[in-house]
Amino acid sequence: MRVLDIKLLRDLWRLKWQALAISVLIAVGVAVTVMAYSSQKALSTAREQYYRETRFADIFATLKRAPLSLTRRLAAINGVRAVDPRIIKSGLMEVRGQVRPAIAQIISLPERDEEALNRIVLMAGRLPDARQPHEAVALKTFLDATGLRLGDEVSTVIGGRRITLRIVGAALSPEYIYMPSPGSTLPDDKHQGIFWMTRAAVEEAADLDGAFNAVAIAITPGRNEAAIRAEVDATLAPYGAGVAIPRADQASHAFLEAEFKELKTSGAIFPPIFLIVAAGLVHLVMSRLVDVEREQIGLLKAFGYSDFEAAVPFLRLATLIGLGGAIMGGALGAWLSQGITTLYREFMRFPELTGDFHFAAFAISALLATGLTAAGALVAVRRATRLNPAVAMAPPRPTTYRAGILDGGYFDAMIDPLSRMILRTLFRFPVRSFMTCVGLAASLMVLLATQFVYDSFEVVLDHSYYRIQRWSDQVGLAEVRGPSAVKNLTQLPGVLAAEPIRSIPVIFRANGIEERGGLIGLNPGSELYRPRDEDGQALPLLSDGLILSEALASKLKVGIGDPLLVEVTEGERRELVLTVGRLSHDYSGTPAYLARPALNRLVSEGDVANGVLLLVASDARADFYHALASVPLVAGVVSRDDTVAAFRDIVTRSFSTTMVFYLGFAGAIAFGVSYNASRIAFSERVRDLATLEVLGFTHAETAFVLAGEIVVLALAAMPLGILGGHLLADAIVAAYGRDEMRLPSGISAWTHGVSLLAFAVAIGLSLIIVVRRVFDLDLVSVLKTRD
Amino acid sequence: MLDTSTNASSHSLPIFEIRGLTKVYTTEAGEVHALRGVDLDIVPGEMIVLLGPSGSGKSTLLNILGGLDRATSGAVVFKGLDLAGASDRTLTMYRRRSVGFIFQFFNLTASLTALENVRLITDIAASPMSAEKALTLVGLADRMNHFPAQLSGGQQQRVAVARAIAKRPEVLFCDEPTGSLDSESGVQVLEAIKIVAGEVGATVLIVTHNADIASIADRVIRFSDGRIHTIERNTSKREPRELSW
Ligand SMILES: Nc1ncnc2c1ncn2[C@@H]1O[C@H](COP(=O)(O)OP(=O)(O)OP(=O)(O)O)[C@@H](O)[C@H]1O
Ligand SMILES: [Mg+2]
Repeated sequence: MRVLDIKLLRDLWRLKWQALAISVLIAVGVAVTVMAYSSQKALSTAREQYYRETRFADIFATLKRAPLSLTRRLAAINGVRAVDPRIIKSGLMEVRGQVRPAIAQIISLPERDEEALNRIVLMAGRLPDARQPHEAVALKTFLDATGLRLGDEVSTVIGGRRITLRIVGAALSPEYIYMPSPGSTLPDDKHQGIFWMTRAAVEEAADLDGAFNAVAIAITPGRNEAAIRAEVDATLAPYGAGVAIPRADQASHAFLEAEFKELKTSGAIFPPIFLIVAAGLVHLVMSRLVDVEREQIGLLKAFGYSDFEAAVPFLRLATLIGLGGAIMGGALGAWLSQGITTLYREFMRFPELTGDFHFAAFAISALLATGLTAAGALVAVRRATRLNPAVAMAPPRPTTYRAGILDGGYFDAMIDPLSRMILRTLFRFPVRSFMTCVGLAASLMVLLATQFVYDSFEVVLDHSYYRIQRWSDQVGLAEVRGPSAVKNLTQLPGVLAAEPIRSIPVIFRANGIEERGGLIGLNPGSELYRPRDEDGQALPLLSDGLILSEALASKLKVGIGDPLLVEVTEGERRELVLTVGRLSHDYSGTPAYLARPALNRLVSEGDVANGVLLLVASDARADFYHALASVPLVAGVVSRDDTVAAFRDIVTRSFSTTMVFYLGFAGAIAFGVSYNASRIAFSERVRDLATLEVLGFTHAETAFVLAGEIVVLALAAMPLGILGGHLLADAIVAAYGRDEMRLPSGISAWTHGVSLLAFAVAIGLSLIIVVRRVFDLDLVSVLKTRD
Repeated sequence: MLDTSTNASSHSLPIFEIRGLTKVYTTEAGEVHALRGVDLDIVPGEMIVLLGPSGSGKSTLLNILGGLDRATSGAVVFKGLDLAGASDRTLTMYRRRSVGFIFQFFNLTASLTALENVRLITDIAASPMSAEKALTLVGLADRMNHFPAQLSGGQQQRVAVARAIAKRPEVLFCDEPTGSLDSESGVQVLEAIKIVAGEVGATVLIVTHNADIASIADRVIRFSDGRIHTIERNTSKREPRELSW
């Protein structure tokens, strides 16, 4: 082995902790990237596979009633691959141990397997026996959430008739991976019961012998889905069908898609930030590390080593450190994405979800990180090789310090010599001090920006469920009803207030853009549902114009006063032209509000509603729900408290884990920067420090000189980091802005506190480690050799 | 590239021709005129001792002759090669092939043992002696595997000497090679230099504050204030082992 290689290995060993700290920075950047992309890949692979194996449909339609023979006409549409006619009926179901009744949907199982789409995957038990009409397979997530077991019996009212179901199997379905409850965008497993029974059994219960009221259609890949859907609509129109829904708008798929999109967004924001911050820091640290070795480079040159030969060991060292970090990061990222996949397995409800490794993400981030490390070394090595060897070889000439702005006058009296040493060093190397400060600020910035998302969620909850929607329960009616329906509900126990609501599914069209959504008709002067503007002011409902959510307005590119084409997708499918009257500020969904009487007029109906907003006394909820279960024509009920709880649950499960990782990573960055900065300051000044001790200063005083530099820089980094955190938070808000949920900006005092604490802890830890070296200083050997 | 064969005859062409050499350091505090016009011819195989007060420019001259630094003005020609106008690459090859250097501050690599410090040079030299032999010549056969921090100042200096002579250089520049040595090891070092110089016919320049050492030189040059003050030819040259101080 050449001596230079020996030196390389020894240097690596000598610098092991610093090398490790740099590697950790790189590892963090690489790990975050690998984690984000690998888990995304695993999820989309799993979903694709699931959809393929279960033959998930492309088009969904519901209708009143059509004969089974119509299936052939649907199948004859050019591009249709398979047609699966079904019967779907729903009713309320009381579940023991649960206050609020669940919504039960009964779905007929296909009779012929070759037609079957949206196949269920049996996870436990068996399929219903054709001779036992009460047997049903239940959605596994409902069983898991409610504690119901195979063999249990439940009952529901369908079409005025009570039917009893015996649960014989638990299944997963691609159609119900997530079941958002009506009126909410969030899944509510406890209250969403899906049951599959034999066709004969459902036919009888629903009075639909030889008929169907729902159909799923698969198309040949590559065909024009919209055109086929239009033909399906035309075929089904005489049978009381609403507009057919493409897969993209199917509730479960849309929820999953939004979830994926969120992962993608955070995957697109955080890894690059971490990688860039980490790489920048590594570059900085590496170049300072090489600066310390300047004399060694001069020495090699003096002996006749060429610039290149003298540079190679340092580049190798940097590359080794970079590669080490990248490999560590790859392994860490793979491990983390395994962990996250395990979490998602439970959360995402795919029958099969195996971890995956996104090699391209690893390769690119590893290459970038290693490259930047080597580049950092190269810059510094070039700085050293450009020097004339005689200069590099000169005795350690004291750095030229100058009296700075802080010297003279009052300061002389106020600042002791040791503090002055700290300040002079900081001002003597302004670029270096500034870069270290920026590095520390970057870590604080990342800390703040990753934690602020929690603040946003709290604001969203408060805004959506306590300021805009002020009801405690929302009841959906199975059909449009007059004022008597509201009266009936008002008389239920515990009801403090009730308001009818009318919602109609529509398609909005403007500027060639099409958005599916709904019109919400609220009572003028509604107390229980108040759209608000950006300043939080309640907006009065209009009878001649829409209150459109800002998000929908920006999707459609319309503003106040603009006309909007609105196509009603049920009943007579009218086309209306409405004007945008005001814009409302909502954080989730894309609602459009109108006064209820005006809405009813538009569709030529009287004083009708299809839902009721209720305020129910919290101590009377059990009685209320029990009574509600036997009110006819109630299709479902949504509770605000349950929705909020579900929201928090989802946030905790899907988001917190990732955020905890990011918190840890940001902390590691703060630690890495501060450790390296203080460790390098230590090597650069070890002679000064040793001399101080020889002169009779105590360890503590010497350590003060070393730590003081970092502490001053950390203090200076705080405002900078906070500013950066706010800017980054705004950027994140903007990036999420196009999503289903919009995040409000603003960072809470609590988040500031947590981030600053984590920042301080990381810096404190690194200082303790370095300062301990001062106490172990071997004065004789330090003063004897140069290093 | 450079001819490494030498001819020790004092009648041959000079190995170094130095004309009007100046060196000015520009610092924040002002200009420092380290060399103010040096003219000198050095013949192959010659042994020269440079004496002079501290700060008179001795190390500066050595650095320029050794290709470590460039003159501000004037010419330094090494066997027909103009060092002042040479490219970095040429200077590197010059240092690698022809020059041995003993620095005033030993400049050992702390993370390498004595033996490895010497091997750093023998790894790239054209026809070096073994690192072990070089260390034996300076009396450190039993200290080869020690790290610099485990050696005394004088021992570190002897490692630096071994490092400089191991490549059998054509020219050997020694900046106070005996500065921190007692008389016995100082003699040992001077003998090692003399042996190696004799073996390859090297030209040797020794900077020292020790006037006694001057008696082993062919010529003694006294430096003051960046200029050559006097040059004397030694009539009664002594062997290193005859010295003691
Ligand atoms: N890099 C430099 N920058 C500025 N001035 C320098 C530099 N190197 C040397 N000098 C100055 O040049 C002059 C000559 O220095 P040099 O090191 O050649 O002296 P010297 O004769 O070797 O002294 P000593 O016997 O103390 O080693 C001195 O005044 C010194 O301060
Ligand atoms: Mg000198």
